[in-house]
Amino acid sequence: MEFLAPLMLLGAAGLLIPVIIHLIGRRRAKVVRFAALDFLIGSRRKTARRFRLRELLLLIVRAGICLAIPVALAQPFTSCDAEGPAVERGAQAAILVIDDSFAAMYQIDGESLLDRAKRQALSILEQVGPDAEVAVILAAEGSDNPAELSRDHLRLRDMITGLEASNRPADTTNALRRAAQLAAGANHERRTVFLLSVLAATGFHDDPPWPPGKGPALVVVDLLERPELAGLGEPPGVDDPDGSDDSDDPDGADDPDDRNTADEDTVPDNLAITGVDVTRDPSSGPRGVRVTALIQNFGARDVAEHEIQLRINGTTVARGLLSLGPGERQRKPFLATIPAGSRYADIEVSLAPDRLLVDNRRFIRTELREEIHVLLVNGDPHTVRHQDELFYAEAALRPGDRADTGTTLTTATVDELGELLLDEFDVVVLANVRAMSGERVSRIAAWVKGGGGLLLTVGDNVDSDAYNQSMLPLLPQRLKDPIEVTYGSRGSERAERALRLAKWESEHPAFSVFTRDAPGLRDARFHTIILLGPTTRVDDRRVLVRYTNDAAALVEARSGAGRLMLWTSTIDRDWNDLVIHPGYLPLMQQLVRYLARKQEQRARETLYVGRSAVLRVEAGDSRLEISGPDLSRAVIEGERIKDRKYVRFAETGDPGFYRVWTSGESGELNYRVEADFAVNVDPRGSDLRPVPPERLPTAGPEQAEVRPANHKRRVELWHAIAVGLLMLLLVESLVSLR
Amino acid sequence: MGNLPLKARIIVEGALSGLHRARLHGSSVEFAEHKEYSPGDEIRHIDWKAYAKVDRYYVKQYEQESQLTVHLVLDASASMAYGGEQAPAARRRVLTGASENQVAPETQESAGQGVSKLEYASYLIASLAHLLIGQRDRVGLSVFGDPNIDAYVPPRGRPAHLRDIFSVIDGVNRRGPTGAEPAVVALERIAELERRRRSLIVLASDLMESRPDLQAGEASDGSPGEGPGGATTMLRLLRARGHDVVLFHILHPDELEFPFQGLTLFESLEDERNLLATPEAIRRDYLRALDEFLAGIRQGCMDGGVEYHQISTRQPLESSLLELLAGRTQRAGRA
Repeated sequence: MEFLAPLMLLGAAGLLIPVIIHLIGRRRAKVVRFAALDFLIGSRRKTARRFRLRELLLLIVRAGICLAIPVALAQPFTSCDAEGPAVERGAQAAILVIDDSFAAMYQIDGESLLDRAKRQALSILEQVGPDAEVAVILAAEGSDNPAELSRDHLRLRDMITGLEASNRPADTTNALRRAAQLAAGANHERRTVFLLSVLAATGFHDDPPWPPGKGPALVVVDLLERPELAGLGEPPGVDDPDGSDDSDDPDGADDPDDRNTADEDTVPDNLAITGVDVTRDPSSGPRGVRVTALIQNFGARDVAEHEIQLRINGTTVARGLLSLGPGERQRKPFLATIPAGSRYADIEVSLAPDRLLVDNRRFIRTELREEIHVLLVNGDPHTVRHQDELFYAEAALRPGDRADTGTTLTTATVDELGELLLDEFDVVVLANVRAMSGERVSRIAAWVKGGGGLLLTVGDNVDSDAYNQSMLPLLPQRLKDPIEVTYGSRGSERAERALRLAKWESEHPAFSVFTRDAPGLRDARFHTIILLGPTTRVDDRRVLVRYTNDAAALVEARSGAGRLMLWTSTIDRDWNDLVIHPGYLPLMQQLVRYLARKQEQRARETLYVGRSAVLRVEAGDSRLEISGPDLSRAVIEGERIKDRKYVRFAETGDPGFYRVWTSGESGELNYRVEADFAVNVDPRGSDLRPVPPERLPTAGPEQAEVRPANHKRRVELWHAIAVGLLMLLLVESLVSLR
Repeated sequence: MGNLPLKARIIVEGALSGLHRARLHGSSVEFAEHKEYSPGDEIRHIDWKAYAKVDRYYVKQYEQESQLTVHLVLDASASMAYGGEQAPAARRRVLTGASENQVAPETQESAGQGVSKLEYASYLIASLAHLLIGQRDRVGLSVFGDPNIDAYVPPRGRPAHLRDIFSVIDGVNRRGPTGAEPAVVALERIAELERRRRSLIVLASDLMESRPDLQAGEASDGSPGEGPGGATTMLRLLRARGHDVVLFHILHPDELEFPFQGLTLFESLEDERNLLATPEAIRRDYLRALDEFLAGIRQGCMDGGVEYHQISTRQPLESSLLELLAGRTQRAGRA
């Protein structure tokens, strides 16, 4: 312990004062020569010890008071090892940029990085002293940051102490930019920005927060305390008096082993789920889904047999193990069944805990694909059932006429088509229909552009010319005349000359259920097909399947929000025998599901923390209530909802599932299951790889000297002594009154 | 104390005029009645004239012994020096200075506050001596306290004897209370002297005898020393032998109320012990111990037929005498 004003210790002689007073007081006690001393001595037996203790306690307390005063005035201090940067005390502008992104929840030895940041921020706040103007800026994306510097250190201290990590990724560059603005407006010569951050590269933009060499002094505090990153933010050459740099390495080579070791030291371990996709899986039953989780190892070490699990509606339904190399991405598929009773389900994929928990869970709100309403327009009806154009198609789309196929079929003739409301259907199949009138075609084309799916198959009723004249808006390509490739042949020769399906887009969703060689498709023989002419005015036309003669068998195109598909043969046995091959049924079902597309649209929606969810307002809704994962409840009502079809809900601060209730004029709350949504953390924040030093902003000419991370720090003790003095005075008062 | 005779006479003649009865100590030899002789009666009391008349032995019975022997016993031990919170030297001046302005204690505005117990007891004994000598009773004086000083005046009935008694009392007061001799010593001497003669024994004492073995913080049985217990036993023994025994238990108001406040160093009057204490903290225990002490003495006297009077030095002397005489008059009336 040392003293700033050691002469004040002379006052410690005052220690004698209470001793003298004590002795004098004892002598100055009133003397009474008393006869009944024996009674006193007998009474005194019980109180003598207490009296002596009290006297002794008073003497000690008073001596302590007399000693504490000069010692406190001597301003004692001691030194201790301090972490973090040491800064100059005095008048200055100090801006603390604190990383409160979810990466700051990274745990090391039971302490989060945010706790480290808070501790160091408080240390800096104490070191700069009361004359410094200080501001605290939060580095998470979308944080509300203060507008000015303040000397109200108590408020700043409370603010720092109460800081909690957000669930958003870091936007360090923006935070530094704001800090530079504050520093530029300060009236101090000394202006320093203290960056307390995980220094994840994803938080730094390509454009620096201030022009090189023109910003405030920058002190970087790496919360992960990586020695490799010590001294970041210093001007070049500050720490290297020799001026040497890495290029002076005599080897001149970048040893990969060294680099790996360096990565292991600088890149923190973190495993995260960066995405989840849910698709229908017919092989798992009518309610079967395939949940595919995308996992990435952001660390520099191997991860072996890390547990992953799938939960549906809060129940664990599947578990698995993962092994990933450094930086590796991996897809983990799960097959599961959505519980009966609702077509909506909360799906959560989670990893076993690691140092950063928040990105170990991924949520998705999924909806079992709705019943697909298919309109089959029969162009060649027949009284003999198996000769009917749709006999095989109906059997494929609704095998056994079961109700759980997910498909509702409506059969109509071309004439009946005009009486039907197309908006009630998801998919229309025009099977070997004659060319329709322009008005009817326009109606169907408009429906397709609005999101409908049209499968057009050909046959004997299809007149290429007529189609090219009136049906062109529904065609991906113009039609040519049909060709019978087996014309004139018989028996085995006919079989040999028949065309087969040779190539198909195996990555296309419609063919995802087939193996690469797909014998159920490849073995089918096609005797007659229609060749195709030039492309019509459609978008994204592509041939999905070709025959062995390279002619197109299935062509897909996009029209507005809808899709068109043209099958250049029949869907019955008139022109081919595909219908008797095992590939026919899944092909028809996949085509219809692909054209309907409802499942995919919902599954793709991903909402990140802090982003707005768009909620649909139904007619009659006067109030929306949204409850978050933490059971907080938000209400949207009044002018915010009146006469609106959609409202934005921005209070998505926590990852998880959000429930939506609505109420109308009656005030009765109704759970709107279809409006529920899931919110996830932005996977960008999971990448904790450090920013390359060259991407850090270059500090300006006011760069302060940054002392080593571990240094001696002076700790003044007079505060504690003053508190002790007050306590002694209190004790003295209490004992004296007794 | 030079005017002790005067003060004693003022107290007796002024304050108590007409209140005492000669019957208490009658000096005439008066025939009371005849009693038929029985073996053991003294032959010299046989009325031979009556024998001549009725041919039977009758014994003459007379009234009480005509001249009462009174032993006044004065406690002059050091504990009797207490007279309030004055320093001992100052108090000794009061006792021995014979100031011309000194007035009788009963006439003081705050009687008892500045009067030591010895002083009070001295006036009380002197007054009794004056009263008894005036009735031609034989009055003796024993003073105990300092074993080195033999202050004993044998009982005599002459008026000039009163001067001897006053002289001894005066000397004791001039010398001041010293020593720690117990009352038992004086009482044993009287018992030895008065083996064959019934007498009145009046003891004026605080009965406080120190126990030097008892130090601060040590256990106490609540009765300081064996003195009080021994004195009470001795008084009861004397009473059992037919003596009339009166105990004036002289106590100072400070001893009864313990009014001290603030840090106080209590010094023993009879030895070198002292005690630094806060009176407020020990008052309750002290008063409880004192009550037990007084109750023990009172009960011992009551059980043994000893007449007990607890006297506070604040109490006027004449009322103390009145208390004694009124009580005795009542007892004589009952007899």
